[in-house]
Order: sequence, then structure tokens, then C-alpha cells
Amino acid sequence: MRPDEDDLDEEIRGHLAISIKERIERGEDPAAARLAALKEFGNVTLTRDSIRRVWRHRWYDDMEALARDIRFALRALLRAKGLAVTVVITLALGIGANAAIFSVVRGVLLRPLVNRDEDRLIYIRQGAPGIGAENMTFSVPEINDLKSRASTINAFGDFSTVDFALNGLGGEPRMIKAGVVSGSFFDVMGLRPVLGRLLNAQDDGPEAAGVAVLTHRFWTTSLHADPAVIGRTIRLGARSATVVGVLEPSVPYPADTEIIANVVTSPHHMGALMVTNRSHRMTELFGRLAPGVSLEQARAELTSVHASIIRDHPESYASKDVHLTVAKLRDQIASPARTVLLILLAAAAVVFVIACSNVANLILARSVRREGELAVRAALGAGTGALRRTLLAESLVLCAAGAVLGIALARPFVNIVARYAARFSVRALEVTVDPSVLWIGTGLAIAAAVLLAYVPRLPSSHAAAGLGLANGSFRITSSTKRRLRVFATTQIACSFVLIAGAAMLVATLMAIQRANTGYNMHQVLAVDIPTQATGVGGANDINFYEEVTRRIGQLPGVEGVAVGNFVPWRDAGSFGPEIPFAVEGYTPAPDEENPRARFRIVAPRFFAVLGVPMLAGRDFTSDDRGTGEPVVIVSQSLAQRLFPDSEAVGRHLWWTDPYFGDQKVLRRIVGVVADVDDESVEPRPAMTVYHPVRQIGAAGRLFVHTATDPYALVPPITHVIRELAADQPVARPATLEDVRAEVLSPDRLNAFVVSGFAGIALLIAVVGVAGVLAFSVSARTAEFGVRLAVGANRANLLAGVLAEGVWIASMGIAAGAAGGYALASLTARFFSNVEVPGVLPLMGAAAVLIGAAVVASLMPAARASRVDVLQALRSE
Amino acid sequence: MAKSRDEQRLELLQGTLDMLILRTLQWGPQHGHGIGQAIRARSDELLKVETGSLYPALHRLVKQGWLKAEWGVSEANQRARYYRLTAAGKAQLSREQDRWSQLVDAIGRIMNPAPESKE
Repeated sequence: MRPDEDDLDEEIRGHLAISIKERIERGEDPAAARLAALKEFGNVTLTRDSIRRVWRHRWYDDMEALARDIRFALRALLRAKGLAVTVVITLALGIGANAAIFSVVRGVLLRPLVNRDEDRLIYIRQGAPGIGAENMTFSVPEINDLKSRASTINAFGDFSTVDFALNGLGGEPRMIKAGVVSGSFFDVMGLRPVLGRLLNAQDDGPEAAGVAVLTHRFWTTSLHADPAVIGRTIRLGARSATVVGVLEPSVPYPADTEIIANVVTSPHHMGALMVTNRSHRMTELFGRLAPGVSLEQARAELTSVHASIIRDHPESYASKDVHLTVAKLRDQIASPARTVLLILLAAAAVVFVIACSNVANLILARSVRREGELAVRAALGAGTGALRRTLLAESLVLCAAGAVLGIALARPFVNIVARYAARFSVRALEVTVDPSVLWIGTGLAIAAAVLLAYVPRLPSSHAAAGLGLANGSFRITSSTKRRLRVFATTQIACSFVLIAGAAMLVATLMAIQRANTGYNMHQVLAVDIPTQATGVGGANDINFYEEVTRRIGQLPGVEGVAVGNFVPWRDAGSFGPEIPFAVEGYTPAPDEENPRARFRIVAPRFFAVLGVPMLAGRDFTSDDRGTGEPVVIVSQSLAQRLFPDSEAVGRHLWWTDPYFGDQKVLRRIVGVVADVDDESVEPRPAMTVYHPVRQIGAAGRLFVHTATDPYALVPPITHVIRELAADQPVARPATLEDVRAEVLSPDRLNAFVVSGFAGIALLIAVVGVAGVLAFSVSARTAEFGVRLAVGANRANLLAGVLAEGVWIASMGIAAGAAGGYALASLTARFFSNVEVPGVLPLMGAAAVLIGAAVVASLMPAARASRVDVLQALRSE
Repeated sequence: MAKSRDEQRLELLQGTLDMLILRTLQWGPQHGHGIGQAIRARSDELLKVETGSLYPALHRLVKQGWLKAEWGVSEANQRARYYRLTAAGKAQLSREQDRWSQLVDAIGRIMNPAPESKE
């Protein structure tokens, strides 16, 4: 049907041949006939083209026109390289940041878990936020009650975390984190093995053999995915277990452990304390919704069951505040990261707005310079559509380049953001750049391109008026100038919000870092030397620790050694909530709950080793042992609060928590030490009660005060310990300074990421302000020339341009402050922990922006003051 | 040059070329040059179809299915593309002819009003 090119040629050739033949037959000269035939035919190429066009689709012409426009745009942009590069980089930053953040948000908050039917998988938590116990976990009797009374839950899975000394997988003895679970756990979680089998009901009970499942991360990173590990026997502390399988990759929750083992591997789990004591809480609880039951129904039932459990056993609930929360596991895992990620998303959006307004500015300025050219084209008959298409082609080229670069940038961005977000949600670790990035990048680029194509004003309506501009000079109309300023002000305003936010974070971080902790931070080395049999203290352990202390004390460079049970900050939260106690001579009011204090175990000389001053009384001695009088040392806050008018030393206190049994053990206060806050890196007064290690039991943490480089002592310390016990793990040696730095690293990362955004914003804003001013100066060259000619001072011109820059910045800051305040009060309604920044960070942010504006104005201002009068006047 | 003859020539009304081509082909298949000559001859040299319009029009009509093109050999022993009216083309021709008559009629009434219609 459709003729090919040869057909077309032959048809035309045939036409000419017939025409010539007819003319010759009529008696014309052959040469003249040929010429006449060709003349009659007209333009052969044009005819062939119009025939071809008949066979084409209608949009082919439009595409061809656009392709022509794009080629034209490419050539035009090659002549304006500086502008093109600026626009592309600006857009790439905006698009890349958004694509990256969105990838992480999608991966962490929106993507379903690998767990089978994860929609039915719920996480149940018992907590009392009022006493600082967000997560109290459950005791075994509580779990049994919930199991027997709840009907909305098909099956419960429990999980408790213990530390084991692991031997038998090669290498040094090491400490590992293990999950101890009942047989129903994996079925409830809906997880599968990649190798071997998982645990089931046959692995429950005291008669079962010890078995363990390796987590995928541990298997691949530490064991190089060796399949031969199945069937191996490993030693976990005092017990042994057989490796039966490897778990599929899944979100490690509630704890990132190396192995997950059955109950029989942990002597502690088999003990009476664990099985019968209602207050001995260390187990996390999961459940699977029964068919047809909604989350709300399950929540309602579990809450009422929980209330009835509390009614039945009031003695086990020291606070009235204890309550149950029930959430889908996916939401539970995502929730800590939600706020952070949404804030990042907002920051990325702000960066995109800044990038777009900056690019809009540059494009606007460019289009004003091109007004002459556009006017000529309009006068030659180009319609509004054609002119818009020209502009669209140019912005498409720019935005496409920006998007490509932005998507390339997204990969490193995602890595940074994912590592950052991993502090809040383990799911972030699995986030990679996914194809959605492409769509987001493309979408943003198209949005930007269309926006940009409609920013400039078209000259078509006053084509004749515009022709005068065709010779290369140009003017700015007041509307263009207003638009330029609006865009520049928007950039400053958005940057201000980001910079103020970053300044606030940095100020908070610096305040924390400068805070005096009360410890000797640089010369004290903290080492984990956990007890062999987990959680069970005994005389052997105590003797072991005393011997370790004695031998390490003899090492050269060691000034003091002591054991304790708690490395400041690193062990934060591991001892649960503060524990209620009572003191003699202080009767709480009927409605008042007992005071609460932290429970710590330390050896003699602990305070001296860590640099905490004794304020009154005496330190523990080796005579404070199990058979002697129970004694304690208290912190200054506790002494002042409970004994405001008298001496604390010599008085007695006792723990009232049911965990300590029914017997009231009076403990005499023998000393008072200065306050230290070992839970929070932001020091606050803390009520703490210290017990001598020989009276309470296990310690597990070694503190060494050194005269020289603390880390140089790690090998000899390890050597000394291994001499005493070859299987003893010696883990995580670090100075208190470094422990604190590690705990602070999320805060630092927070400040770093937001500062990064603020930096990008500042950079773009500076470019924006400089661009606007440079443009305005070059448009006013003639004006400056005239002013100089009639005797204006060059310094005045310079000051005028600088003032314009500062004025734009001030307007932006004012708008940003107003917008930021509105935003803060808006977010405060949704997030509880929004803080309005102090005055200092705000002033700092404003100063930075004004400074940046001045810097940005300097170049254009200098150019304005150097205008050559004659040149300027001639150009008009 | 031949200005006087050119001035005599009439511009084709927009949209009538297709109809003229279809009408011309009613007498039998013809190649492009022949169609052009036929229109010229039958209009007593008053209508001259430019090849630049004729060929795109022919191809457009083929694309619409009103004409069919096939290679043949002309009386002058020259290979040429012959166009033939299809059934759809015939139907289209009669439609266009009707519309044309109505148009001529309507325009005629306006340009040469009958005395009684004026009253």
C-alpha cells in the first residue's frame, strides 16, 4: 500500500518522461522539451517531501519540530555554558536529594516485610513511659496469662535476648547476642530457613536438645556462608547446641542477634526466677491475628486482659502507669525512623524548591536577554505555541541533563541516608536505589521543565515594540524584576529555614559535647568481660573478678582497676527502669509513689578509677561481702532529695520492688558520691544506688585507669584474662570518651545530614542572589554610565548594589522566619518533640545568610562601579 | 512572458482538487501526468493543477482507500503508476458531487437572486 522511496522516484521520473515525450511529439526541440517539463513540474524535492508527509502520522511533524527545537536549544546552550552548567548542577542536587530520600522512605516506611502475611503480624509491648520504661518487656507468667485469656490472637511468639560466650565456630572465643525463643516463634513471625530447618514445638521444654539457628547476616559475614556449618556443635556459655539451620534474610527485630536458640540453651531461662517470678521481665512478645480479627479488636481484647492481669497481681506492678501497646510489626519497626525521614523528606523538598526557583531565575534572566531574538521570531510569524516550544525545548534539555546527573547522584546519596536512617530503623540497611528513583527523577524533571518554560514572558503581543531590542541590548521591565526578586527571596527564605534547623542541631550537639560528665573521660578504659553462665552470679565469678583486678593492677602503666556492671552510656537501658525504694524516716504521702533510683553494682575503688569524687562517708572495701552488713553508696541527688536536712551516711534504705522478694533487706548508706549520669549523654541529676559487688553478684565490666595510652594496654589485659580463663571473651575495649562519642554519633550524623542540606541550600541561594544582582547590574549598565557621567561616586554605586543584595536577603530571612515559625507550630501538632530553636542559632543563621548575600553581591557590585562611562553611553 | 494566459487561469477552490481527481478517474485508470492533462483539457485550459499539489493529493486519496495505485505501461511505452477508482472512491465521488451541486446552487442564489425571493 504505502509506496517506498524507489516508487516515489520512479513515479516522478515517469511523469517527466511522459511530459517530455508529449512535447517532442508536438514538435519541440528535445532539450527545450526537457527544460519545459522540468519547469512545469516545479520543485521535485518539495513535491517528494509533501508526498512523504501524506504517509506520516500527524504527530510526526510535531516531533520533528520539537527535535529541531531541541537541536537548536543544544546549540544555544553550548553558547551559554556557564548558565547551562549551573542550572544542571542545581537541578541535579535537587532531584538527586529527593530521589534518594524518597527511596529510603519507601524502603523503610512503605515496603512490606518479607515475613509471611506480615499484615497479620503484631508486636505487643508493655511499658510505663511515666517512669522512664518505654519497654518493660514481659515475664513468663504474664505471657502465660495472656496466652490463656486472649482469643483474638492465633499464636504468640516470644523472644528474649541474652549474651553468650560462643566457642566452637573457629576463631577466638567471642561474645554474641542470641535470641532465646520458644518453638512457636518462627511460625508466628512467618519466616523460612534458607538452609536446614528452623525451630518448632519439639525444641521446647527442658528435655529437648540444645539447637540454634544462625541469622543470615552472621552466617554470611562471619562464616562466609559455609553450608557445612549445619550439624556443627557449638558451645554457648556453659551449654552446647547443634546448629540446625540458617534463617532467611529478614529484619532483625527486636534485636540484631547472631543466633536464635531454643530455651534449653540458656540456664537462666530454665531457672525458677525466669519461670515463676512475675516481675522478672525480659521477653518480647509477638502475635498473629486470628482470622477475621482486626488490629483494633485485638488491641481492645489484649488491653482488657492486661488490665485484669494487673488487677489479679497488683504487687507485681509498682507503677499505675503500666499499659499495653499493640501495633503491626511493620509500623513498630518503622516508627522511630518516621519522624526523622519525614523531616528529611521535607528538607529535600525545600532544597528542590530552592533549586527550582534558582533555575527559574537564571532562565528568566536568560529569556530577557533573548527578548530581542524572540521578538524577531514572533515578527516573522512564529506563533505563541512555537515560541513556548522553543523555551520548553531548552528547559527540557536542561532538566533532562539535571535528572540524569541527579539520578547518578542518588546512589551515593541513598548510601549516606540509608546508613544514617539505620540508626533509627534496621530496615534502612536493606535500602538500595530502586527503579522508583528513575520515575521520581523523571517526574521532578518534567515538572521543573514545564514550570520553567512558563516562567518567561513572551514578546508576541508587542512584537513590534520588541524589535528595537533585537540589536542585543535589553531592558528589564518592572514585572520581570519583581519576579526575579521573588525567586531570590524564596531561595533565601527556604535556605534560612534549613540553616536555622542545622544551626539548632549543631548547637545542641555542641552543648552536649561540652557538658561535663563527671568522669575521667580520657584515661579510663572500659572492657566487657561477661560472666560465663549468663546472668547467674556466684562465688567463683567474684573470685575470678578479684583475681583479674589484682593481676591487671600489677601491669605497668595501670593506676587503678575496678569492676562494675554498667559501662556509662553504652549499657544505657540494659537495666530497665529505675527501681522503687524506701528510706527510713521518709514516709511518702498516700498517693505518692515510692522514689525510684538506678541500681548499680561496683567493686571497691570504682569511684577512684572513674574519677568520681566521694563527697561523704567511705568507699566500699573488700570487707563488704555477702555475710556482712548490707551497705550501699548513694549519689548526691539522692542524698539531697531524701535527706535534705540531715546526713545521709548511716541511714538505711531498702528496695520495695517485688523483684527483690518479700523480705525487706535494710541497707546502710556508707558513702555519698558526686552525681554522674551514666544513662544519658546529656547529664542530668540522677538518683543512683551503688552496691558492693561481693554482696550482690556479677559485674561483667572492667574499668582500668591508665597513665599512658589506654589502648596500648588492651593486649596485656586480654592476655592476663585469658591466662585465668581461656574461654573468656574480652570485648569492646574503649575509653569513656570514645564510648560517649559512639553513643553521640546519631546526633552527630543528624547534624551532619541536615547541615549538608543547609550547605547545598546556601550554595544554591548564593548563586541565585549573585545571578539576580549580576543580571540587574548588566541591565543597568547604561543607567550607571549616566550616573557616573553626571558625577556620581563609584562607591555609592557599589554600596547601592550591595544594599540591594542585603535587602533581598533580609526579606528572605523575614519570610523564612515567619514561614519557619508557622511550620514549627504546625509540626508541633503532629510531633511531640519539636523544639523551636533558640535565639542564638537563629541569629547565626541570619548572619550567615546576610554574609553570603554580601559575598554574592560583591562581584556584580564591583562590576557596576567599574562601568566605563563612554562605553555604557554608546551602547544605548 | 505568458502573463496574459496565466492571468486568465483560475485558482482551484479549496477542497475541490480531490473531487476533480475522482471525477477524472471515472473515465478509467490514469497516471498522474494524464490526470493533470485531463483536468486542464476539460476545463479548456482554465484550470491547471500544480504537480506539487496533484501528487500529494493522489497519495492522500490512496491512503484513504478511494484510489488504488498499480504500475502499468503508458501509450508512449513508459512505465507509470496508474490510479484507479475503488468502490469507496465512487461512493465518495457521488457524495462530493452532491455537496458541490448544493454549494453552487446556494452561492448562485445569493449572487443572482431571483426577483420574487427578493420581495
